[in-house]
Amino acid sequence: MNKSLAILLGALVVAQFAVLASMIHGKERILREGEAFQFKTQPIDPADPFRGRYVRLGFEADHIPLAQGVATDLEYRETLYATITNDEAGFARFSGWSRERPAAGAFLKTRYLGEHSEWDQATTKSTRTGLSIALPFDRYYMDEAKAPRAEQAVRDATRSTNCWATVRILNGKAVVEDVFAQGQSLRTLAARK
Amino acid sequence: MRKVSDRHRQWLMRELPILESAGILSPEKSGEMRTYYEANTRSGLHWAVVAFAVLGSLLIGSGIILLFAHNWDAFTRPTRAVLSALPLALGAALSAAALLKNRGTAWREAAGLFHALAVGASIALIGQTYHLSGDMPGFLLSWALLVLPLSFLLRSTGVYLLYLALVCGWSGAAQDTYGQAAAFWLLILPATLRLAYLLRTNRDNVETAISLAGLLAALCVGTGIAFERTVPGLWIVAYSALLSGAGLLGFCLYGEREGWNNLPKTFGVIGMTVLAYLFTWTDMWHAIGWEHLRYGQQHRLWGVWLDSGVTLALLAGWALAAAKAFRRDSIETVTLAVFPLLSTLCFVIASLALEADPLNALIFNAFLLCLGIMYIVLGCRSGKLRQLNGGMAIVSLLLVTRFFDTDFDYLTRGLVFIGLGTVFLTVNLVIARRKKQKELAA
Repeated sequence: MNKSLAILLGALVVAQFAVLASMIHGKERILREGEAFQFKTQPIDPADPFRGRYVRLGFEADHIPLAQGVATDLEYRETLYATITNDEAGFARFSGWSRERPAAGAFLKTRYLGEHSEWDQATTKSTRTGLSIALPFDRYYMDEAKAPRAEQAVRDATRSTNCWATVRILNGKAVVEDVFAQGQSLRTLAARK
Repeated sequence: MRKVSDRHRQWLMRELPILESAGILSPEKSGEMRTYYEANTRSGLHWAVVAFAVLGSLLIGSGIILLFAHNWDAFTRPTRAVLSALPLALGAALSAAALLKNRGTAWREAAGLFHALAVGASIALIGQTYHLSGDMPGFLLSWALLVLPLSFLLRSTGVYLLYLALVCGWSGAAQDTYGQAAAFWLLILPATLRLAYLLRTNRDNVETAISLAGLLAALCVGTGIAFERTVPGLWIVAYSALLSGAGLLGFCLYGEREGWNNLPKTFGVIGMTVLAYLFTWTDMWHAIGWEHLRYGQQHRLWGVWLDSGVTLALLAGWALAAAKAFRRDSIETVTLAVFPLLSTLCFVIASLALEADPLNALIFNAFLLCLGIMYIVLGCRSGKLRQLNGGMAIVSLLLVTRFFDTDFDYLTRGLVFIGLGTVFLTVNLVIARRKKQKELAA
């Protein structure tokens, strides 16, 4: 065997493992050290060809509220930092944004996706209410048999109670820790169904 | 060592006794030839072994991806993290074995393809374990970049094709997510370099032919996706140069060979015919050119420079291939060389004149008609049914389409059909008379 080829293959395999290890390390660190936030959600259940079935998380707080008349010069998909605060009920909301990394407080590194508008029944007009942002925690992967049951459980749960996702955030990066409905983990609910 | 196929050897074995009995070959020489070709016959089983090895690893690799996609949530997070590395470890071990033992093509292809699929499975499993968002472009790009070196190290055509597929998939996902996929041109560069090496070292190899076909297909798909389309209609020039260049490259590399034995030529000629047919429609020439620049989230301003640069690069490739392959006595190379010139001319006309749509469509109707007649004549001359049928198919398609086409008025269509019919009948009459005169003279 050509010795240099063996060395190159070794280097490639090391690089491939290093990529996997850095992915695992980064996410484990966020789950270990990150601050936990609860985002109100309404999940639905689609599938990914490579990663399997998941519960897609649609969030109430999927934008940064902005006062009427405030102009921004953000470009589509421009990177920004969204600051996070908890409301009176203990659920997380985005409260502001900046182009520079905030020195203190919880924040999420994300991208601007355009204006967020809401339909006003009274005026029958759509008015801008904030900035739409990309949320890097919109999927919760589940066992293929349990995912549809989880969706059903959530559908039942959202009629009477709140449904939320616990998201760990560290240095602007986020990982979904768990999703809850009726005060219980989605995995527990789906297993019981 | 040069080896012949078993089919050719069998033919020779049937011929040798005939040559012996005719006194052309002595029994000794015939025996020597028999021994030589029996020792130098390429077994048809070789490619069967490779094909089954590739299919096997493709199925097992895909099966592992699906198995992990089931999502075994009974396992803890650390267990899943370790599990995600397992396919990669297995793939790496197989690749090392293929290199260490210096195994044959089947081993290299199977190990390489399994290793490449294992990389995707591992990344996907980590995404699943940590609920990563659906960043499809990021996933495909990581996968593609991590498997690219494998195609060089193991000299695996399967991995090469997988890389091309991933790059095309990435460009589609990136165009959808980011609104642009300009990096496609950078990602396709290493694949082009590998192909250039293969063409230089062994252009007649089956692996080279498959790689060439794969790259041409990827370029065709990728150009369509990665083009920013800021300048509407510039794709007409780019695709004409790409497909014509492919056809001319086929003439450069494989001469007059045809069909599967000259894939770039076949690809180029079929592509040129399809494009020429599309250009026969007036809609293709409507509102295109520099006067109709498009801006916005899907059409970036820098797309003007990128698309123009790509088009110029493709035109340069076409010019190079044309300079090497062009032969005045070969009507096919002349047609292939003229095609991009005609498209560019029509694109410029459409850009400058607002009412040029029917004129351009008319030009390409005439071009396609000439192309069809050319293949009918070539087929008649050489007795090749494939060419004759191809020519007939082109002319029939054009005539049927134009008969029902309401873009041209009834009067024009009627006159053109009668005129063409008269020309065909006259030519038929002239040829029949000449044939009769020749027969009488003989």
